[in-house]
Amino acid sequence: MKFVATPSRSVAFFRALARRLSPALFGALSLLAVSAAAARAQGVLVAPPGVFIDHRARSGSVELYNPGTQTVEVSISTIFGYPVTDSTGQVTLFTSDHPDSTQPSAAGWLQAYPRRLTLRPRERQTVRILGRPPQTLADGEYWSRLVITAKGATLPVTASADSAGISIGLSMEVRTVVAVLYRKGRLNTGVALSDVHTALSRGGDSLYVRTRLERQGNAAFIGVLHVALERPGESGVGARLAQGSLPLAVYYDLSPRVAIPVVQVAPGAYTLRVWVDTDREDVARELILPSKMVRDSATVVIPPRP
Amino acid sequence: MLLATLATLMVPAHAHAQGGRKLDIQPQHDLLFGTVIAGVPARTPPVDGARAGQFALTGPNRSTVELVFSLPATMVSASGATMPLTFGASDAGVSATGAITDQVSFDPRLPYTTSLSKTGRLTVFLGGMVTPSASQRAGGYTATVTLTVAVTSL
Repeated sequence: MKFVATPSRSVAFFRALARRLSPALFGALSLLAVSAAAARAQGVLVAPPGVFIDHRARSGSVELYNPGTQTVEVSISTIFGYPVTDSTGQVTLFTSDHPDSTQPSAAGWLQAYPRRLTLRPRERQTVRILGRPPQTLADGEYWSRLVITAKGATLPVTASADSAGISIGLSMEVRTVVAVLYRKGRLNTGVALSDVHTALSRGGDSLYVRTRLERQGNAAFIGVLHVALERPGESGVGARLAQGSLPLAVYYDLSPRVAIPVVQVAPGAYTLRVWVDTDREDVARELILPSKMVRDSATVVIPPRP
Repeated sequence: MLLATLATLMVPAHAHAQGGRKLDIQPQHDLLFGTVIAGVPARTPPVDGARAGQFALTGPNRSTVELVFSLPATMVSASGATMPLTFGASDAGVSATGAITDQVSFDPRLPYTTSLSKTGRLTVFLGGMVTPSASQRAGGYTATVTLTVAVTSL
């Protein structure tokens, strides 16, 4: 036996049912209305996804905007972290609550103002990120992540003193984690590219390209890894049969994986070109530290498919 | 007017330069469970368009992000009664097109790295299961699901 009830109807439904049935029978049926009294969760828009702070200004900002129809409570904290790659080439975020003294962490001396705020619907607010570094801070780049937690309104769980049923309020929170880079003095960066190797996916429809990227200089390298499969003996856009790209930031080193579709590529030998440049759409050009493009190539054989 | 001008001056120049670059994560749909029978688990798969939880992500094109769910094991009522809430290995999915039928499945209990689409979009879906006992006490049960989205391309 199954009863279907919408959240707004469930309590009334079970009250009516209880009136018709004896309490004992009602209890014996043990019917539970699990309704969705959840409040609609809310997120906030964060801009930009990366904050760059110059030591001379010692402050930056992020803008928060609530595009929703409910008030959102926002809290902001900092944590030390940077991207790394796992054994499969996926880029993940390494974080540490207690980085050791050799780590260039800014998390301990960056503070957000305000750290807690309430955003009403369609409201925006600028949050300032202030640096209070130690007096002896050496030239270099210092890293942190800003954790922005958005919480919707308190759940209106109304059930159920009348023992008519059960309601569930699944509260949903959203956390957004963005980068903060604090820069002091003369900085330079670059990337070394090595160990290009490939593997075909199990079905043979994708080519996985991995390479090792090692940061040079004293600041994170922010750029894009490009891979392209070209006809042998040819080069340029017209020779490309398949290509892919991955925006990335190399704080120490990465071994990322890029998948490119080769299902339309006929069996044979091809030239794989790999290059890294700083052509990022999501970071203002003046914030990108200049760096030379690096490139490599390899021969790849696409075998006949079974 | 003067205050507005001062406020503008106080915002660093690079904040304006990055104004078009944003990261937005909006829950589109709550994770819902319909009516269940006592002692009978109720599962919502991530491909259930009417009940699966949905989050819409918008950000820089092709950005890589790491998704981490914090998932409660139980829901608790005001009287302290609990009800198990579980998530399986295929209870989450992502779609670059936003179509619920176009999901790449993943385990919401583990961190998952993916990329936004060429147009900077991604939809995340979440399912799950509640397991009321045969003698489950009536009342309002609550729990919090948290989705953390970390930019890993910066």
